[in-house]
Amino acid sequence: MKNLWQSIKESRAFYSLIGLVVLVIASSIIAPSFRTVNNMITIFRQASLLLILSSGLTAVLLTGTMDLSVGATAGFVGCVVAQLIKHDMNVAVATLIGLLIGVVIGLINGTLAGILPGFIATYGTNWVIAGLGIVVMQGAVIYDLPPAFTQLGVGYLGAIPNLVIFASVVVLILYILLSNTTLGRKIYQYGSNPVAAKYAAMPTRRVVLSAFVICSVCAAFAGMLMTARLNAADAAMGDTYGLQTVAAAVIGGTSQKGGEGGVLGTIAGALILTIVVNIMNLTGIPSQAQGLVIGSVIIIMVLIDTITRKRQESKMN
Amino acid sequence: MGKTILTAKHITKLFPGMKALDDVDFDLQEGEVHILVGENGAGKSTLSKIILGAYKAEEGEITLDGEPIVIQGTKDALERGIAAVYQENSLVPYLDASQNIFLNREPRTKLGFLDLKKMKHDAEELLKTLNCEYIDVTKPVSSLSVAEQQMVEIAKALSFNPRIIVFDEPTSSLSEREVDSLFKQIHRLKAEGLGIIYVSHRMQEFPLIGDRITVLRDGKKIATVGINDCTNNELVKMMVGRDVSQVYVRNQTDFNEEALKVEHLCDFDGRVNDISFNVRKGEIVGLAGLVGAGRTETAELIYGIRPIKSGDVTVFGKKADLKNATNAVALGIGLISEDRKTQGLALSESIAQNTVAVSLNKIFPNFFINMNKIREIAKDYTNKLRIMTTSVDKKTRFLSGGNQQKVVLAKWLSYDPDILIFDEPTRGIDVGAKMEIYNLMDRMASEGKAIIMISSELPEVIGMSDRIYIMQEGSIVGEVHRGDDNFNQEKIGELMMLGTGGANE
Repeated sequence: MKNLWQSIKESRAFYSLIGLVVLVIASSIIAPSFRTVNNMITIFRQASLLLILSSGLTAVLLTGTMDLSVGATAGFVGCVVAQLIKHDMNVAVATLIGLLIGVVIGLINGTLAGILPGFIATYGTNWVIAGLGIVVMQGAVIYDLPPAFTQLGVGYLGAIPNLVIFASVVVLILYILLSNTTLGRKIYQYGSNPVAAKYAAMPTRRVVLSAFVICSVCAAFAGMLMTARLNAADAAMGDTYGLQTVAAAVIGGTSQKGGEGGVLGTIAGALILTIVVNIMNLTGIPSQAQGLVIGSVIIIMVLIDTITRKRQESKMN
Repeated sequence: MGKTILTAKHITKLFPGMKALDDVDFDLQEGEVHILVGENGAGKSTLSKIILGAYKAEEGEITLDGEPIVIQGTKDALERGIAAVYQENSLVPYLDASQNIFLNREPRTKLGFLDLKKMKHDAEELLKTLNCEYIDVTKPVSSLSVAEQQMVEIAKALSFNPRIIVFDEPTSSLSEREVDSLFKQIHRLKAEGLGIIYVSHRMQEFPLIGDRITVLRDGKKIATVGINDCTNNELVKMMVGRDVSQVYVRNQTDFNEEALKVEHLCDFDGRVNDISFNVRKGEIVGLAGLVGAGRTETAELIYGIRPIKSGDVTVFGKKADLKNATNAVALGIGLISEDRKTQGLALSESIAQNTVAVSLNKIFPNFFINMNKIREIAKDYTNKLRIMTTSVDKKTRFLSGGNQQKVVLAKWLSYDPDILIFDEPTRGIDVGAKMEIYNLMDRMASEGKAIIMISSELPEVIGMSDRIYIMQEGSIVGEVHRGDDNFNQEKIGELMMLGTGGANE
């Protein structure tokens, strides 16, 4: 128990976890309706897509690079799968194809990020993929998908929305993948020092590719759930998620320099973002003003994290 | 020797959980080089940082010219005439020498623009006083050699007209020739009456440069002695606190089977040129040479990390196809690289995580890992190698140089390669840790490992190697065997400098 506390305290997730606790307490005081079980379930449901996207992105951030194309990837795959299903393809097959597209996009992003800075490479692919989405949709919007597919997004298992179950499973898989496997270790080691990783005989390119594939497959999965949830597909539907996904991972304490952080913090980051939006809705803050608040939250959380960490390190030196 | 410039009395500095300095006295006279020695963590850097105003002592008194002073920070120290030349360059790589020298206090024209002409002129004047007028002050310092950069650092320190200069491990990345010219400058500064505090590990340098030596151990001052008043052995004993009968240990055994054979090896950059040599099981083979002789590059070719242009590498009788480090490691070749901070360690990862960095797949072939097992393995090696730490979960960033190097060793020991290349294995680490590394190398050789040792410190190569190949400008220019007449510093040094025959001067 003491060990667990110690490791939480030292982990990069510490401040985001504290932020989350403070936020939950504050929200309960500001808006009494926040505390209801129904609202809690709503929050988790609203957070679920962001959780899937940002957990996947965490793998890429840990290698010390960036994927800005997750929003576009999600939107694109959602559209493709919607088209396939509209053309009477079997739901399971369509879903599988969706995931495969995720693999391909991950391989392309990862290969490019091995040559260019990931930031630039994926900023470019973001536009390309978004453009492809428009081509696939031919400018239109698809709706009325078969229930066999939409149930994935709107259905419940008992009292728990399917989305929440999917998100939990993905987050758990990613947590295990990053913390308890040799691949996860290599991702951390590479992110911490790519040169040392090369000297330690690590297949570094394969490690980076794997991280991008993980990220894009998560994005593809989230995109399909998005379509199922909306019962519609629109080329632009992933756009709002692009930067939120980065924000969730960064608020969660994963270093943009790589090697430090993890899924635990990202969960906190995604929940913080979602709760802030939720509380603004509950208190009636107009959605146009919400960007201002979200931006401020991002800056404040990252500032607290950076400053306290600097102080800690200068103390240890 | 002149009058006393600076005294520090009863200096005590506390860090969380430890006394970095405990009631230490120190003084510096005009025209003196006062050497500070001690193992890593002994408090040398802390003491020099207090004098430089970077740290504030909890207790104690500092006087300058007999007047008690309180140094308020590094800027205050500079204004009082105390400057520093650091071990790791503090220059901005993309700025040129003049911009670096006058960083943050650039001369201005009447209109308030930078007076580039004056900057250039003053910088050139400063470098001239150092006999370094050949350095182009308008080129970015990143394009200068390490030694030239160091000269720019010294010029920068001199631009403050200091009375005291602190040199912190200035020679750790210099070649022998460059060290010579650095020492000339220090002698000149000394002759001008400056007081010099010289922090270093390299005992062979002390007689060349020092006047007095102060030995620190565990934050306490052990003694201050005149340079001629004590032998190296006595110094080491004071530093490590135990008797050191012999620094180098080599229990030679028989060598039989050839482990590694290199034939006509060349790289693409012309840094390695037609290199052939071999190493047998149980043997320690030294590669001696100046910095830039191609030793590290040779190691990198064998380790698969630098592309091979032509030539063959044979490992235990089989031709090796070395496309990357993964190939080399699979064949049982390991490399303890020269630069532990950039190549050897993931500094934001723990001791335990670094320990298994190479052997991860070997320990966990089934994809899933077990952190507790990793910790156990790491604990085993921290005990065996005497890595000083409170926990194997500690990030390697927070370890001393010697302990960091031991973690790099642990990383390779846990993989257990048959052929291990040590590239500058003792650079920048203290005597105690050095001896432990020598012992380990000897033990590994007697267990049948084939070892290649690259080092710029000749006494160490001679002390440890059974055979030495001497390299110069990418080629092997000589081979000497332990026990032969020419197995000595003079002969090997001559070959290193002059190449074959020593005639082409």
